[in-house]
Amino acid sequence: MSGIPTPHLSRRAMLLATAAIAVAAPPAAKAQTPRPGGTPTPVPGGTMVMIVNPEPATLATYAVSAGNIPPITTQIYEGLLTYDWDLKPQPLLAKSFEVSADGKTITFKLQEGVTFHNGAAFTSADVQYSFMEIAKKVNPNGPVILRELESVETPDAMTAIFKLANPAPYLMMSLSSNNIPIICKSVFEGTVPMQNPSANRPIGTGPFKFAAWERGQFVRLDKNDKYWKPGLPLLNRIIARFIPDAATRSAALETGEAHYAAYSAVNAADIKRMQANPILDSTTRGYGTTAATSVLEFNMRRPHLAKKEVRQAICYAIDRQFIVNNILYGFGRPAVGPLSSVFSTSGWFTDDVRRFDVPNRLEIANKLLDDAGYPRGPNGVRFGLHLEINSFGEQWLRQGEYLKQALAQIGINLTLRSEDTATWLRRCYTDYDFDINEPFYSAGADPVIGVHRHYVSSAIRQGTTFVNNKDYRSPIVDKLMDDATRELDRTKRAALYHAAQKQMVEDSPGAWLAEVQYVTIFNKKLHDHTMGPLGTYEAFSRAWLER
Amino acid sequence: MRAALKRFARNRMAVLGACIIGVVALLTALAPLLYPAGAFTLAGPPLQPPGMRYLLGTDALGRDVAAGVVAGARTSLLIGLSAALSAVLFGSLIGALAGYYRGATDIVLMRLTEFFQTIPAFLLAMLLVVILSPSVLSVIIAISAVSWPGIARLVRGEFVALGGREFVLASIGLGASGPRIIFRHLLPNCVSSIIAVGSLLVASAILLESGLAFLGLGDPNVMSWGLLISAGRVTLRSAWWVCTFPGIAILLTVLSINLIGDGLNEALNPRLRER
Repeated sequence: MSGIPTPHLSRRAMLLATAAIAVAAPPAAKAQTPRPGGTPTPVPGGTMVMIVNPEPATLATYAVSAGNIPPITTQIYEGLLTYDWDLKPQPLLAKSFEVSADGKTITFKLQEGVTFHNGAAFTSADVQYSFMEIAKKVNPNGPVILRELESVETPDAMTAIFKLANPAPYLMMSLSSNNIPIICKSVFEGTVPMQNPSANRPIGTGPFKFAAWERGQFVRLDKNDKYWKPGLPLLNRIIARFIPDAATRSAALETGEAHYAAYSAVNAADIKRMQANPILDSTTRGYGTTAATSVLEFNMRRPHLAKKEVRQAICYAIDRQFIVNNILYGFGRPAVGPLSSVFSTSGWFTDDVRRFDVPNRLEIANKLLDDAGYPRGPNGVRFGLHLEINSFGEQWLRQGEYLKQALAQIGINLTLRSEDTATWLRRCYTDYDFDINEPFYSAGADPVIGVHRHYVSSAIRQGTTFVNNKDYRSPIVDKLMDDATRELDRTKRAALYHAAQKQMVEDSPGAWLAEVQYVTIFNKKLHDHTMGPLGTYEAFSRAWLER
Repeated sequence: MRAALKRFARNRMAVLGACIIGVVALLTALAPLLYPAGAFTLAGPPLQPPGMRYLLGTDALGRDVAAGVVAGARTSLLIGLSAALSAVLFGSLIGALAGYYRGATDIVLMRLTEFFQTIPAFLLAMLLVVILSPSVLSVIIAISAVSWPGIARLVRGEFVALGGREFVLASIGLGASGPRIIFRHLLPNCVSSIIAVGSLLVASAILLESGLAFLGLGDPNVMSWGLLISAGRVTLRSAWWVCTFPGIAILLTVLSINLIGDGLNEALNPRLRER
């Protein structure tokens, strides 16, 4: 892709960079002896600069689930487990774990010799406090993930036993540093978690220690010399930089002054150009547990949308491949149903559902609307609906503009309404004063975590954002999902989810548009940064910089 | 009036401005014939460079940039003119009341005017649009709300200057009512300054509208130059034409209106007549 040269951009970026931070000069370069296979041997030292966008409002990751916090806090806090590429649980702060046959007792043996950054020793009391007092009470995902957790028993300092009311197969999928960070009990005891002094000066057990947060500019993390994994971390320092302007973010990577940018920190339109840059490389790995799907939510309280034919017709009218190609710039794939295809690994996903991407989809859509009793008026319009524009960025306005054209083909006149975030959320999740909404959701590591709450009728909770606001009440889906929540047998659980997907796509309480493919852009000198499916939501303990 | 027109015609730059605005107005009128499908229609493959098929190229969604520029002209002129007109009407009224009645009325109205003048215009406009929820009407209201103070101060100044003149005193002596003196005698005497300043307001209203639309605060159902630029910004380095043409349109329109405004000022302002 050829771009016109814009020297002023990079000059501005460089000026900004010099003004922003003085990055410590790395120690003199060492000679590098290549590892067998041609890859260079890791060398310790150096400062990694990563771009985090936008700047987090807080670092209290134990109480706030915003996606821009964990890239920083997972360097500092650790969870009980991490996951390998097949999403199988692996030890982290828990050295080993054992699930009882009835699935109601989980025994964790903890790592020995681990200390928090304030010097306190890590024991089972910290685990108990993190789960029972913090995660269960203030973590926004706590009520779902930890619903069945009744108590954490601590027979000795290095053993934590979880007692569950019912089996919860998804719980083992939700114990990463990002999901449930282990905090230091002595720091939090007797305080209000959100107002704890360590909320924005985190104290954890991770490979990097919090050093400074210069608001509007950067967070600095320094190497934890007493980290419990011997010889790690390799980097001396991590700087998380905040650059509000997208073009400047791209320029920072292109000039080599930033080494790493994950999620949507780089404009999709810029990614192809960056991939052609000789000093940069890219990967789409490391998003196995955070895959996002863009969807439409239909307000089934509205007379038109209460009819299944209308909802299905809208699903047929949308060209999902067009959205992927032109709004996501090719970084995604068309969605077929409520479960993302990332669940193929686990077997929960199926594409054996009603397919809306058939060649004669417009014909079918128009016929459905005719049959539903909405003939075209003299100007070709059957009826009008409003679309609430997602306020989280420009691409959603583009998507809205496309949807307006797509629905015009089947005689539905779509009016776009764009409001600020607070008004948008109130309209769609509290007042229910909307027709169609266009949010996007992260699926989580298990459907229970990120999918159920959008479709089960028990999740119709007025005033709670990002739950079932569609008034979708299907006893069949409720039962299937409820059974899947407790089913320990993988094959049976997969069958339950397949049936649920079929039913939901048939009912079409929403439309599933595109699975967003995130891209990480990184400098070729940065190695070993994406070591598992958690990607940027995992500590850079093995990452190192070539010099 | 004819003399004024002649003086306007003598100013070549002003005539050039008027010609450009004439073309823009003509395009606006012909838009339904040139692009009957509208500016939001997906006309072809995305990001096509300017050429025979798509005169100004297509944007990231495959919409014809030329159709967008033409449709944006309509929005800009509509919002620019209505916002400037309502600002002029409201500002003149406030200024007239303050300048004629003086005293407490003057103090209250002028402090109010200054209050609005001290708030950064663009921020206030953004705030108003967010509160009112973006639509053509709310954008017009927001722009007029930040544009009237200048007119109010101008009209007040003119009224104060004219207040002691014989024809006003004579009217008062003959028992004319306040509103009659304001509307029949005083206002017509400052119409020329109001027209000159008001025409410049159109230009600033168009700029404000583009700025709001650029930030995503325009009516999402209406094509606008600001919206085009904001949509094209992400592809600036790979598809320059998406931003460039609406940008040129804004430049030319605002420049021409400013030229016309200067021309009108010279033609109508007696103090500049001999230049």
